Amino acid sequence: MHISDGVLSGYVCAGGYAITFATVMTTIKRIKVDNMPKVAVMTSAFFVASLIHVPLGPTSVHLILNGLVGVILGPAAFVSIFVGLILQAFLFQHGGITTLGVNTIMMGMPALLAYKLFDLRDKFNFKANEFIFGVLAGIGGVFLGTIILALVLITTGSEFVGVAKYALLAHLPVMIIEGIVTGFIVSFLMKVKPEILRKDRR
Amino acid sequence: MHLPEIDKFAHLKSPLHSWDPRVKIISISILIFSVVLVRNLQVALVGFCLTTVLIFLSRIPFSFVFFHLKWVLLFTLALSAILSFTISGNLLFRLLFLSISREGVNLGILISLRAITATLLIFLMMGTAKFSLSLKALQKMRIPDKLVQLLMFTYRYIFLFMDEERKMIVAANSRGGLKRRDFSTLKTIGGIAGMLLVRSFERTERIREAMFSRGYNGKLNIIDEFTLNSGDFIKASITIAVALMLNFPWVMK
Repeated sequence: MHISDGVLSGYVCAGGYAITFATVMTTIKRIKVDNMPKVAVMTSAFFVASLIHVPLGPTSVHLILNGLVGVILGPAAFVSIFVGLILQAFLFQHGGITTLGVNTIMMGMPALLAYKLFDLRDKFNFKANEFIFGVLAGIGGVFLGTIILALVLITTGSEFVGVAKYALLAHLPVMIIEGIVTGFIVSFLMKVKPEILRKDRR
Repeated sequence: MHLPEIDKFAHLKSPLHSWDPRVKIISISILIFSVVLVRNLQVALVGFCLTTVLIFLSRIPFSFVFFHLKWVLLFTLALSAILSFTISGNLLFRLLFLSISREGVNLGILISLRAITATLLIFLMMGTAKFSLSLKALQKMRIPDKLVQLLMFTYRYIFLFMDEERKMIVAANSRGGLKRRDFSTLKTIGGIAGMLLVRSFERTERIREAMFSRGYNGKLNIIDEFTLNSGDFIKASITIAVALMLNFPWVMK
């Protein structure tokens, strides 16, 4: 889930930057000095974890994990994803300097949704509560991101409607895998290190 | 495993290496935005050629640059392929049941050129100085302190965790953990990613204590001094002039 340079119009890029900067500026203030090392180290852990390839049929896909970032970092997730994408664009040459704003919204907003979604788990009492809400957070993260991706492509021009349809279709299997893996990760963390998921640690 | 190494050639000497990082980042960013907004195929080609000349001037080996372009090429190729048959227009040729249109192919080439040029420019912006120096320049440019710090710390630990992840993948592979392609593989992968998070989480506590015991108070103190000279401004004016020319009304026709 990534838009490279040269696809979007100037207005969409500028709009993306405006929304991203506003959100980063408001959420970065809420990160306490005490928590700075944690946010940074977890950001690099997510960065590396998202490089893991998952075999899918004859090919493989890599994890996105934006839902999980939301689950673990909470409100700091948006900044974390912004930092991750800057490093990705500059270190790995994935491109996307002009589309950095749009890409951050595409992954960061769903992360905030996943954080809210996962916090609802206290209200339910299923047998595998964490797994179920992990799956929901993972699916929600990719689903909302894909919707934003399609909307951005369609607003850029009518010639991208076809591409938007294929993008939606291509993300369906990714969404399912992402959901299941996020579910497994969350239930693993619950068994091994439950304090990562505790709310007051954010 | 291939590590990200954008600043591998930061030690070379060239007009781009001697350029003040602050002025360089601003000027090249303007050029990147200008290149991305070009609407004409010929102008995009001019931008691409100019960038190639700049890379030649910066002495970064072309083999290094083109190896790192693979992600962008993959993305633009896929996008161009879809565009060439989803856009209807003058028929160029027929491929089985797909009709390839001239408009689609043109748009695909234009987007690819813009994306490749923008990515090449990143090499000039970030590849000609140590990454840590570029980050310090960002701080001098009044980018919020916390953001620069997050970039620095995150950058520092990525290499460490990549090493750790590679070890875990090798371990899982040697036990046959990733051999099958079913539900259990996903569980193994979830375990690997989860373990990576647990280990880094445990590390954050120690890192936090180490930082605070050395007097970390949330501020970043930089002792490097940057100095500007006339050469920096000459390079900046040329770059910005080119950026404006590429999007000047008379070339948009």
